Parts: sequence; C-alpha cells; structure tokens
Amino acid sequence: MKRRLLSSLMVLTMLTASVVGCGNAAADSTDSAPQQEATKEEKAEAPADSATEAPAESEEEITLRMAWWGSQDRHDKTIAAIELYESLHPNITFEYEFYSFDDYFTKLKTLVASDEVWDVFQLGGNFPMYLDKIYPLDEYIESGVVDVSNISEANLKTTRDKDGTQLGLTNGINTYGIAYDPAMFEEAGAELPNENWTWDDYQKAADLITEKLGIFGSSTFLSSDFIAGCSAYVSQQGALGENSFFNIDLTGMGFTDYQLLTPFIQMRADMIKKGSYPDAGASAEVTNIENDFLVTGEAAMTWVAVNQFPTIYNVCEEQGRTLALAPIPKVTADGNSGMVIQSSQMLCVSQDSAHKEAAAAFISWFENDIDCNMILQAERGIPSNELVREALAKEATTAQQIMYDYVDYVSKLPTPSEYNVLSPDGQDQVQDNYLNYIQQVVSGEITADEAAQKTYSDAEALFK
Amino acid sequence: MEKLRAKLNSDAVVGHVFAAPFIFGFVCFSLIPICMSLGYSFTDYSLGSKQAVFVGVKNFLNLFKDEVFSKSILKTLQYVLISVPIKLSFALLVAYILTRKSRMVTLYRSLYYVPSLVGGSVAVALVWKQLFARKGLFNSILVNMGLEKINWFGDEHLAIYPLILMAVWQFGSSMIIFAAGLKEIPRTYYEAAQIDGANGFQSFFRITLPCLSPIILYNLVMQTIAAFMTFTQAFIITGGGPNNATMLYALNVYNQAFKYNNMGYACAMSWVMLIVMSLITLLIFRSSKFWVFNEAEG
Repeated sequence: MKRRLLSSLMVLTMLTASVVGCGNAAADSTDSAPQQEATKEEKAEAPADSATEAPAESEEEITLRMAWWGSQDRHDKTIAAIELYESLHPNITFEYEFYSFDDYFTKLKTLVASDEVWDVFQLGGNFPMYLDKIYPLDEYIESGVVDVSNISEANLKTTRDKDGTQLGLTNGINTYGIAYDPAMFEEAGAELPNENWTWDDYQKAADLITEKLGIFGSSTFLSSDFIAGCSAYVSQQGALGENSFFNIDLTGMGFTDYQLLTPFIQMRADMIKKGSYPDAGASAEVTNIENDFLVTGEAAMTWVAVNQFPTIYNVCEEQGRTLALAPIPKVTADGNSGMVIQSSQMLCVSQDSAHKEAAAAFISWFENDIDCNMILQAERGIPSNELVREALAKEATTAQQIMYDYVDYVSKLPTPSEYNVLSPDGQDQVQDNYLNYIQQVVSGEITADEAAQKTYSDAEALFK
Repeated sequence: MEKLRAKLNSDAVVGHVFAAPFIFGFVCFSLIPICMSLGYSFTDYSLGSKQAVFVGVKNFLNLFKDEVFSKSILKTLQYVLISVPIKLSFALLVAYILTRKSRMVTLYRSLYYVPSLVGGSVAVALVWKQLFARKGLFNSILVNMGLEKINWFGDEHLAIYPLILMAVWQFGSSMIIFAAGLKEIPRTYYEAAQIDGANGFQSFFRITLPCLSPIILYNLVMQTIAAFMTFTQAFIITGGGPNNATMLYALNVYNQAFKYNNMGYACAMSWVMLIVMSLITLLIFRSSKFWVFNEAEG
C-alpha cells in the first residue's frame, strides 16, 4: 500500500511540476518571441540584400526597439506616431513596448543588466542612474541627423549632463499643478484655490469637502507626494533658492534642518486620519492618472504633471464636469512657489543599440515633425520645438489652452538661478519609507517629528 | 563495438540521456544562478551599475538593522502560520466529503481544483483586489446588510487576511493529494470500527487521521514552503502596504533587487530565507515522529 501511495504522490508532484513548467515555458517564449522574430527577419533580409547587389545605406532593413511609460492615451498616440514613421520609412520596423511607470523601470533595470536596452527609450528626472546606458546625441547634432535648429538653448539644457553632453531631446516641458473640480468646491462651500493659496488653505478646503460631500478632499499624490509635495515644501521655505531637497550637483542634501519636513508630514497624517486624503489601501487602488479619484468623482482635487491635465480634462468633460488647474500650494502666501519648469521626459539612444543613427534620426523626427506632433498632441509636455508649438497652439483645445497658460504663468514666477530636478539612485526606497512613516504617524507609532528625522537620514544615507 | 553498444544500452546511460534536458535546465537556470547569488550576497552588486565590490558580511549585518526586513519576517510568519493550517484542514474536509461514492464526485473534485489551476496568477489577484476594494463586492454586501464598510487594505491589522483567504481558497492541489490518500485507507478498518460501535467522529480521528498522517506531513511541508514564497498576491493587491503590513518576504526581496537596485542585499536576504525555511522544514520532519503514524511500526 505504501508503495502505491508513494508512487501516486510522485506522479502528482511531477504533474504539478510539469504544469508549473509549462507555465514558465509559455511565459519565456512570449518574452523572447520579439527577439526571435527580429533575428528571423534579419536572416530573411540577408539574401535579399545580396540579390540587389549594392543596397543603398538608407534601404537597409532596420528594426528599432522602443519603449515608454504612460497612460493609455499616450500609448495610443505614440503607436499612431510610430506607424506614421514606419509608413514614411518602409525600411524601418518598430518593436515597441509600453508600461506603467514602475514596471517600465523594473524592465529597464533588467535590460541594463543584460546590455539589451531598447534602441530608443524614455527617461525622466532619474536619468543620472542610467548615464552608462545613454549614447549622447552630440555627434548626430553635428552631422545634422538630429535637428535642433528650432529648439531653444534653454530647452536643450534641460536634457544635458553637467559637462554639457546632450543626453537626449526633451519630449516637452512641464511643471506640476493641482487639478481640481470647482463645482465640488462650490458645493462644499470651500474657497477656490488661487495663485497664492497655502498648504493650510489646501488642507482646510480638503477637510471641508470631505465633511460636506463625503469624498476625499484631495486624491493621492501617489509616489509624487515625495517629489511634488514633500520636496517642493522644502524649497518653498527660506529665501529663494536657499533650500532644496537634494543639492544642485546631486551629491548630498540641499537643506540641513530636518524639521522643515515635519509640518508637511503632520498635515498628511492629519488628512488621512480625517479621511480627506486616501490611506494606503485607497492609494493602492489608483494605478494611473486615468483612474485617479478626481476622475472617478471620489475626490475634488489631485496632483498632476500638467501634461496629464488635458487627458483627465477630456475624460471628466465626457462626464459633464469641468476641471481647472491651480498652482501647488505654498508654505506662506508671499513665499517661494517651489515650482520650476522642467523637462517632462526625454528620448535617448541606448549604448546597446545596433542602429544608433537610425534611432537618433527617429528621435529628431519625433520632436521636430509637425505631423507627428499633431498626433501626439503635447501629451508628453509642451513641445520644445517652436514651430511645432505654434502649430499646436493654433488648434489647441480648451484643456490644452489651460495647460499652455499655466506653464506660461509658472515660467514667469521667480525661480532660483540654478536648480536641480533630478533624483539620485535609490530615491525609490526613500520614497517608499517616507510613505510608510506617514502611515506610522497615522497609527500613532511615531510622531511627525520622528518621521521627518527618519526621512532625512534615509535620504542622507544615499550619499554615504 | 559490441561493448560500446552494450554500454549505450545500459540503464544508466539511457536514463541520463532522457534526463539530460531537465539536468541542463536545472544547471543553467537554477544551480548556476543559485551559486552566483551566494557570491553576490557578499557584494554590493546592483543591476544598474553592474559593478560588484566585495563587502564581506556587511549585507547580512545590515539586515539586522533594517526595520522593513524584521517586519517582513514577522508578517511572513503570520501569513504562513495562519494560512497553511486553515488551507490544509479545508482541503482535508473537502477531500473527505468527496470520498463518498457518488456520480458527481469527479465533477466536484475538478471544480474545487480549478482555483488551484488559476492559482498564483495575476488575473486572480486583480479580481481579489476588486472584491475587497473600498467599493468592492464584499463592502457592497456589508452595506446592503446595513453594516459598516470595512477598509480591508487600508487597515494595518486587517490587510493580510484577504491575502490569507486567497491562499486558503487555492486548496485544490492539497485536496487532490488528500483524496488519493483517503482512497488508500482500507474500507475494512471502517467496517470493523462500525461493528465495534464507533461513530463518525471517532472513526475520523482514530482511523482516517492516523492512516493519513504521512500524506498530511507531505502536504504540510510542501504548503509551508509554498507559503513562504508567496509573492503575487502581495505584489498585485497591496504592494506591501499599509505600513508594510503585507510586506511578505519574497516581495521585500523583489523590491530590494529590482526597485531599490540593491541586488547584493537581496541575494543575502534570499539566503537568509533559505536557511529559515530549511530550519522550519527540518523542525516539521523532526516533529513528525511524534504524530506521523507508520503502519510498519504500528
């Protein structure tokens, strides 16, 4: 009896193993499928090339791999733009991938480790981490492959390294803001945001809305709470340019007194306790801007990078709601805004690319071509090419017009002569810990002061 | 020639040839990475920089200072200690009910096995996330019954239970193994017990459980190991929150490796996990002589 039992057990184990094995194999094969396809195509092309004897360089069949992160709106638009490029350049085929922000960087890290980074890839303010993988564009700018004649020096500078190397071309400029629903504010009797509103005003309005309407006053800032909330809060204090979260060269902290953080952390904890700001469970339900609580009608305001504003404006318009855009609240009404104009993201050529020139030519087209940008509709930020911007401005929708006006307004605010919007390697961990500390303040495990101290020392530890 | 042929036809050679694909896969995709991870655990290797500088046992020492690490150990233990016993008792209960001779038994067994087939998948985790969401199915039911909503994933003390429930729900594979084991228990034992006047409970505790104890041991070990390695639920549903209340060990390792760029540190964590799991498995085996019934001795 025992033997039979044992053997049946073994059969079962093997079955489970093979089922699991199949699962993995299937996953692997889908993963490697594009690559296999690519090699197949190359092989197929090789004889064709030799048949036509001397193929001109531009006729060479090229497969470019490209990836980006973003919302569905961006995916649709980018794919349409890529298809346009393919139709203009029949010898170029794209293999594109798109992800949410977090997944994009997870994938990128594994590709960095295996030296297989996409030919064309998107990077934001965290690019210092990936410097080794970026192939600079300078030589292509010199040879004319990349056209920067209509991009202003200031815009080119946003995607340059400290030593002046052109790392990529910016997809557009943007800044942060608060998108809100004025109707909800009015219904609750809360004061509407203005250009000089403070965090106190913000908290009061949010609490009142929660009390009156039973929804979140403010939707989650997600991981951006650390950048747009907490770090902006630091630079809003003191004289203009006196404080910033990290210093200009990204070699250490940009402020010395951790207590600059305390009031902000206290405010977040108080708001979560009141229910006017989502707790961790609710925050986890928001995975991208399109299902943000402001869009679903469960919150009256949310944080946005302004290039996201038209997307949510359009969705809310379909629901019969009209959104508006306000600046990030300040510490004091007459203090620093803490806001700067920056590059939203950029496109880069990777060091691993076998077709660097073709990749660079595509980036140039992507940023400079008017037809392409009419498809993209400034969804990645306000285009840096002046001709493109003019063409888009002519046909701007209401939402885009609000965005243009807002960026215009922010660009006229006083900003420090030098500022840093980049994030160092390891910031993700500081950010996750920061969000945890806030929850610990909510549950009474630690005080806001301790949370601020811990956040400061976590961030400081990045540079040791 | 003859000799070579005889040699090639020997069981040992044939066996190895057939096992070769598996051995190849195991060596390339398991053994070598495992050995490399041991090496990396003594370095500050990160996926981004790709430079691995030897740092000695620093990674292991840092573990003791890491608040998230200790919390993730506690939470993983809680998860394992609650989910495994419930899952096994449930699997046994269903298997026991399904030993009855009825036409529909095969159908029922297949039905109960379905959750295990879709088991660790992302899709199920997403469904689970929706079910327990603030406006999810369970909260709608509660509200309709006139009760208060429960903030499942926002409450530190509650958040882990939906994850445990999801693990318990996937009891199918243990159930099938139990069912196979139950069939092996000779009917004569039960008939003898019945004649002696034993009731259902008595025959379950005096016959079924002892005879089934080797199978219980097997299931216990397998499920404990599987529970320690749970990743998908925590990653998809809660992302480890709130306040790391669902930061299962495997998720923490993943975060360190791929999110925070500390591959060396993550490797060290994996090895600590291996040691802890080996110890617990050993403990279960050691304890087995007190409760696993062996017919040969009995």
